[in-house]
Amino acid sequence: MKTLLEFPRTVWDSVFRHPLPDSDLGRSQTSFTNFFLHIHPVKVNRHTLKPLYTLGLGLMSFFLFVILVFTGILLMFYYVPSTTQAYDRMLDLRGTVAFGTFLRNMHRWSAHGMVAIVAFHMARVFLTGSYKKPREFNWIIGVGLFLVTLFLSFTGYLLPWDQLAYWAITVGTSIAGYAPVIGKDIKFLLLGDNTVGQEALLRFYVLHVAVLPAVLTLLIAIHFWRIRKDGGLSRPPEADELPLRLAASTGPSMAITVNATPMQLDTAPKKEKRQFGLMGIVRGPFTKTGNTPDNSVYSWPNLLTAELFVFILTVAIILVLALCFQAPLEEPVNISHPPNPAKAPWYFLGLQELVSYSAFWGGVGIPGIEVLILFLCPFLDRKPGGVGKWFAKERMLPNTLFMTFAILNVMFVIVGTVFRGPNWEFVSPW
Amino acid sequence: MTWLSSFALASAGLIAAAANFIFIKPRATYGAPSRFLIGKPEDFPSGTRISLDAHRVCVVRDGNKLAAISTTCTHLGCIVGVADTGFACPCHGSRYDQDGNVTGGPAPKALPWYQVTLAPNGELQIDTNVQINSGTYYNV
Repeated sequence: MKTLLEFPRTVWDSVFRHPLPDSDLGRSQTSFTNFFLHIHPVKVNRHTLKPLYTLGLGLMSFFLFVILVFTGILLMFYYVPSTTQAYDRMLDLRGTVAFGTFLRNMHRWSAHGMVAIVAFHMARVFLTGSYKKPREFNWIIGVGLFLVTLFLSFTGYLLPWDQLAYWAITVGTSIAGYAPVIGKDIKFLLLGDNTVGQEALLRFYVLHVAVLPAVLTLLIAIHFWRIRKDGGLSRPPEADELPLRLAASTGPSMAITVNATPMQLDTAPKKEKRQFGLMGIVRGPFTKTGNTPDNSVYSWPNLLTAELFVFILTVAIILVLALCFQAPLEEPVNISHPPNPAKAPWYFLGLQELVSYSAFWGGVGIPGIEVLILFLCPFLDRKPGGVGKWFAKERMLPNTLFMTFAILNVMFVIVGTVFRGPNWEFVSPW
Repeated sequence: MTWLSSFALASAGLIAAAANFIFIKPRATYGAPSRFLIGKPEDFPSGTRISLDAHRVCVVRDGNKLAAISTTCTHLGCIVGVADTGFACPCHGSRYDQDGNVTGGPAPKALPWYQVTLAPNGELQIDTNVQINSGTYYNV
């Protein structure tokens, strides 16, 4: 009988190996022994938790992706990738499926939000110089994530099979066709045919629901893993220095840094045996064993409450947007009448504006060079310093260049969105 | 041994990648056929400029001269509309003259002309796989 009464407790204990932590050891173990939490470091630097430093943009992108996967899987229950059925299924979502409109709204606004937030996240990382050594590779992964996000939006755009979808993809894949040498083959492989039709719809569906999410998940995993291995989020060197009063009171350090910087190795007593903690070897003077006073705090609960806050904020914003604004659905595809003007989604309108001057340079040349420069950023700008600060003085030149390009791109998006009317002629919105 | 294994692994990877590309490139397509019948020559009296949007082709007839001009914009694949001056694209504002030559906008080249033949049943047949020089008419 006693065993029976204790049964729920036994099961609980078998799942969660620790009670809610009340000691530092417990706080470390919470992060260490929980599958979902072990991605976190045991301790994080105080600087990392400053909301105005990161603005929570990377986390927000991730949570938007989680919302997208969740709503996307639900939508898959009612969607058929067929030219004769897809549009009717969109109408069914509106008319007969419980919460159908709401889920589609959530999916659409999260997708738009993700493109915007990922772009903002990239701007944050650039403007704080966070792509510098040792974080070069994570910047490259990040640019890859940005491109996959754009491609995911692009492939999702065709699925409703409305006028906007059909003509945006016709224009988009024709742009791909301008790529030198392999352009025509890429277009044919994407569409599975010479024009947008059933084959293209099926291909875009498979890319959208299977291939690209898998690639994105893999890249996100590497991205997060690298944050830990590169020594946490970027921060200025001062953030690792002890506050004066603490440093004065400690005397010679008894603890050994797991992977000390060369400078610290020189000053550390040589005879002392180096200990390696379970954290493994991490670059930078960050992870420490023992109770060395430093500028870090325990992830549980400091980091987790911050993450929870960003999560709730993200979900709340998407719920409000989905309740207030309807995801657009245009007329069903009419392959003989392009709408006038035929416009791509807003984040591609900058591209479409460029394309209206020259298909090759606007659609392939300039974007290609921009992406190449983005990838090479950490190797072009090799000057150290200015890391971990917004608009650092030392980084005046790269930041100015980046802002110029960003503002130019945004201006093209605005011109394409607001100032272009029928026949892509200049119109005034007023 | 290591060298041999890496070589084997690398070639296996390359072959698999190539096989995937061959796999996803369709050998047969299910879209619109490139050859189709449009009707008897009498259906298109002199002076006609009819755009058959479903086939993405415009049939032009002047006296005995008949031609089929593509209405797929050479810029980014939208369907051009028939205008008084020739053709105009609604997507990015490319403009063409009556013969499909570019007169304005971002289009890089002229609208292609397709081969027109007479099928055994007396109907006109257009083959969009066969492009002919602009100004080459079919004589009815």
